[in-house]
Amino acid sequence: MTPRRALVGAVTSIGAVTSRPRALTGAATARRFAAGLALAVLLLAAAAGLWRSARTESHTDPARRLAAELRCPACQGESVADSRSPIAAAMRDAIGGQFAQGRSPEQVRAYLVERYGPEVLAAPPARGPGLLLWAAPALALLAGAVPPAVRAARRARPVAGGTTADGATAAGTTAACATADGTTSAGARPAPERPGTGAGSSVRAGRSGASGRVWYAAAACLLVLVGGVAVARPYLPGRAGTGAATEPVAGRTGDPVADRLVLARSMEEQGRYDAAAEIYRDVLEQRPADEVRLRLAFTLIRSGEVDRAERLAAEVLAGRPDAPDALLMLGLARRAGGRRDAEEPLRRFLVLAPEHPAAPEVRRLLG
Amino acid sequence: MPGIALLALLGVVALGLALTATVREGTGHDGGSAGTSTVGRPAPPLAGHTLAGEPFDLAAQHGRVVLVNLFASWCGPCRDELPLLAAAQRRWSDRGLRVVGVDVRDSPEAVRVLLAETGSTELTVLPDPAGATAVDWGARGVPETFLVDRDGRVTQRVAGPVTAGWLDQRLAPLLAP
Repeated sequence: MTPRRALVGAVTSIGAVTSRPRALTGAATARRFAAGLALAVLLLAAAAGLWRSARTESHTDPARRLAAELRCPACQGESVADSRSPIAAAMRDAIGGQFAQGRSPEQVRAYLVERYGPEVLAAPPARGPGLLLWAAPALALLAGAVPPAVRAARRARPVAGGTTADGATAAGTTAACATADGTTSAGARPAPERPGTGAGSSVRAGRSGASGRVWYAAAACLLVLVGGVAVARPYLPGRAGTGAATEPVAGRTGDPVADRLVLARSMEEQGRYDAAAEIYRDVLEQRPADEVRLRLAFTLIRSGEVDRAERLAAEVLAGRPDAPDALLMLGLARRAGGRRDAEEPLRRFLVLAPEHPAAPEVRRLLG
Repeated sequence: MPGIALLALLGVVALGLALTATVREGTGHDGGSAGTSTVGRPAPPLAGHTLAGEPFDLAAQHGRVVLVNLFASWCGPCRDELPLLAAAQRRWSDRGLRVVGVDVRDSPEAVRVLLAETGSTELTVLPDPAGATAVDWGARGVPETFLVDRDGRVTQRVAGPVTAGWLDQRLAPLLAP
């Protein structure tokens, strides 16, 4: 909704600013032109901003998309996806881990809401009073579009009694009141475009000055209000809605080993091979599975402990002599250790698993 | 004209109040301190091997009061807090207190150095390399401390370092026989 409305409002404003039928002095024309230019620049900047935020939201990775929807609990105004705080990193890992176990975005969201409360969601709920937050931008845009629209309507009508400029000034004042009443953010606009400025009588000047003061008063109120809320919020005693809005969900995945495997992978991705190896060793004690042995072997190869990696691969091959992954690890471990007998297991690996994701790389290594 | 300005002001204030109410209701919690979603509920699971290699499970601690402290070697306030926790462990262990440190997103070497430097080597420390335990407990950062009573329920939670006064006020009553 926002881009289209913004566009309509801006176009109306530009129309009101640029297409005056009256002959204007050179200075006034230049001022109008500058205003129009500034508006166009602002519009372009807004469009660029919208495009950028739309682009990040449409990220293909569901974990990343969910992280972007969540507020980092340790930061101010940053999403879990963007924050560099350790707790946000931990939350990203937790999200990734749960997705890897096949949980739905709703389940993961519920898991985090249960732990961090509904404020972890960056978007306020679009119901009840939360609807007001959603409506505020629309109201602001509407209010921004009303003054130029009213002015344009007045201008188009032949005005009986009094000059057109007078009528337009009155329209500007009315619109200013309506705007200031209706919404807050329109107050960010400076004094409304005053038709006939520069050629106004003292009466007109008085009225324009008053309407300008209303704008400034509203803008000042808005700033004080926003600042006040921002400063006072941490001290507000409200605890309404604590935990009440969340539905009970199953806490963990119920499989600590699977959890830890996911964490180890995350460590690997961060290049923290020692930490990953530690987790794999821990997991191996509880669940001595070949898959874990091979993951540990791969981590050890990357952290340079090739001898231990080779032993692990050999252990797996002792039980399953034709396990392609074990052959791959054995070959890679030997190769990393600069051994000549690395080729044999790698060639066997290629024969046994020509479609393996690692096969092209192994072919490249073997030349 | 002053009438219009007043009207405008009232309008802005009214909308602002409505929005403030929304913020308070919709997003709950008192911003600065930790949320309370875990307090009063059974403690989330906490199990694994300690830094010393011994198995630990919070579920097996029923009958004891457990102070769970999330910390890390990269966190300054945690360094100041550790001696206090070690002292609490020494002082109250015979009254059923067990202090458990959860070392969040840290390396075992760094935390061993930290424990040695702060004279807290006797603390039970569970490594949490990816911070999964921290997320499971709904932690917002480190340090953060939870008190788990003898029935396994979280009764207190504090974000930021605890003080000797807080321990006397909140922890000591739980230890009363």
